Amino acid sequence: MIKLQNITKSFGRLQVLKGIDLVVEKGEVVAILGPSGSGKTTLLRCINYLEKPSDGEITIDDFTVNCKRPSKKDIHTLRGKTAMVFQQYNLFRHKTALENVMEGLVVVQKVEKEEARRRSIELLEKVGLGNKLNAYPSQLSGGQQQRVGIARALALNPEVILFDEPTSALDPELVGEVLAVIRNIAKEGITMIIVTHEMGFAHDVANHVVFMDEGIIVEEGKPNDIFVSPKEERTKQFLKRITPEGVYSI
Amino acid sequence: MKLDPSFIWTALVELLSAVPTTLNVTMVSILFGTLIGTIVALIRIYRVPVLNPIASAYVTVIRGTPMLTHLLLIYYGLPMLVNGLSDSFGWSFRAASIPMIGFAYLSFSITSGAYLSEVVRSGMLAVNRGQIEAAYAVGMTTPQALRRIVLPQAFAVSLPNLTNALIGALHGSTLVFSLTVVDINAKAQIVASTNWKFFDAYLAAAILYWGLTVLIEQLSGLLEKRINVYNRGGVA
Ligand SMILES: Nc1ncnc2c1ncn2[C@@H]1O[C@H](COP(=O)(O)OP(=O)(O)O)[C@@H](O)[C@H]1O
Ligand SMILES: [Mg+2]
Repeated sequence: MIKLQNITKSFGRLQVLKGIDLVVEKGEVVAILGPSGSGKTTLLRCINYLEKPSDGEITIDDFTVNCKRPSKKDIHTLRGKTAMVFQQYNLFRHKTALENVMEGLVVVQKVEKEEARRRSIELLEKVGLGNKLNAYPSQLSGGQQQRVGIARALALNPEVILFDEPTSALDPELVGEVLAVIRNIAKEGITMIIVTHEMGFAHDVANHVVFMDEGIIVEEGKPNDIFVSPKEERTKQFLKRITPEGVYSI
Repeated sequence: MKLDPSFIWTALVELLSAVPTTLNVTMVSILFGTLIGTIVALIRIYRVPVLNPIASAYVTVIRGTPMLTHLLLIYYGLPMLVNGLSDSFGWSFRAASIPMIGFAYLSFSITSGAYLSEVVRSGMLAVNRGQIEAAYAVGMTTPQALRRIVLPQAFAVSLPNLTNALIGALHGSTLVFSLTVVDINAKAQIVASTNWKFFDAYLAAAILYWGLTVLIEQLSGLLEKRINVYNRGGVA
């Protein structure tokens, strides 16, 4: 279980997160929606401390970090429980697909090399890249790079995988293959928090939808609660703007 | 004046005995220079308190003064320092027991360190922030991220600049003649002093330096090809 309590974050005088409370149950797939600039990326980055929250508390399982005074060790532990898939993939450019996936296992988790290799190959096969093990990122399409990014995250066997708009840097014809991979792993009961603009995907895959605007959670609930019968005016307007007429009326 | 090809050849062969000294001075100054340069680059990139202004001052002062001046300052300054320390702590060590080539190692390492810090720094800044964040996200510590992700890529992009620095250090090593260390250049002078064919002897030295430089260029070219596989595509 993941519990965020009163997470706030300011960049200088700009308050980007204004007290976020969120509970994510084990195995849940959470979709975070919201207009650009509403703080979705910042929230995700606070969860693994790529961004330092100004205040609040992050709990993953039985481990709690008080964001007012975290120790280096706290941050390290937190990162050990999370994995992230980036909008820009952020693969290690000097390492092959296989080495990218193995890196965390070998360097951080100290898994024996042969074992790490075996597990990494398995994961790359699972994301459909069994034939690209030795390719460098520069030799892969965006969709393939992102699938390596997903395999790299899965390899760590984290409590939660954080996805920040995993398909929004992709050419439209490559979006499908990445979403298909995420759909697949969603079925395995891995806890995921996904920031996305893919409404159809969020509706199908998520079992918990969060709508954010201006640094707060405006509304959250089951996919149908949000997509079909949103209560808040801001949610309604956002959905109207972003989805074509009639798609989600059942 | 006439060229004496057979003497040039004789001189060339005699100069070979000084090649190890030249290469020693060159390699030591580049190796320690790279070490110093990397530390200075890290201090400046991470803006380490207290050390950052010192590192910046080191770079501007060293780059703003000639290499020969560094050598002379070290040569005359270090003994005062060493003997002074020895006296005040009651050690028996005297500066006179420092070998001449030691001054060259120290001085040239300090010189190259300043130039190389800028090479390393720009190489590190060429690695995009996203990869470092990805390294943190998989759970690496900062030293792990530097060692596994940043420095290897910084090295790859810096290779042409490192090659330049190496060639610069090779040529700069001729300054050791002022310490009576016998490198290729000093040896040429010695060889010539027997028959006053200075031009021929220095021509032989020039050929040798040029040959070494070409060798460095070739090796670096090969290395660059190997290291930069990941940037090119078309291999897998
Ligand atoms: N490093 C930063 N420095 C200053 N402002 C930032 C930084 N990162 C994000 N912001 C600001 O925070 C706000 C929220 O950004 P972000 O979390 O990226 O929103 P979203 O992902 O929902 O589009 C934006 O106004 C953005 O300009
Ligand atoms: Mg964003």
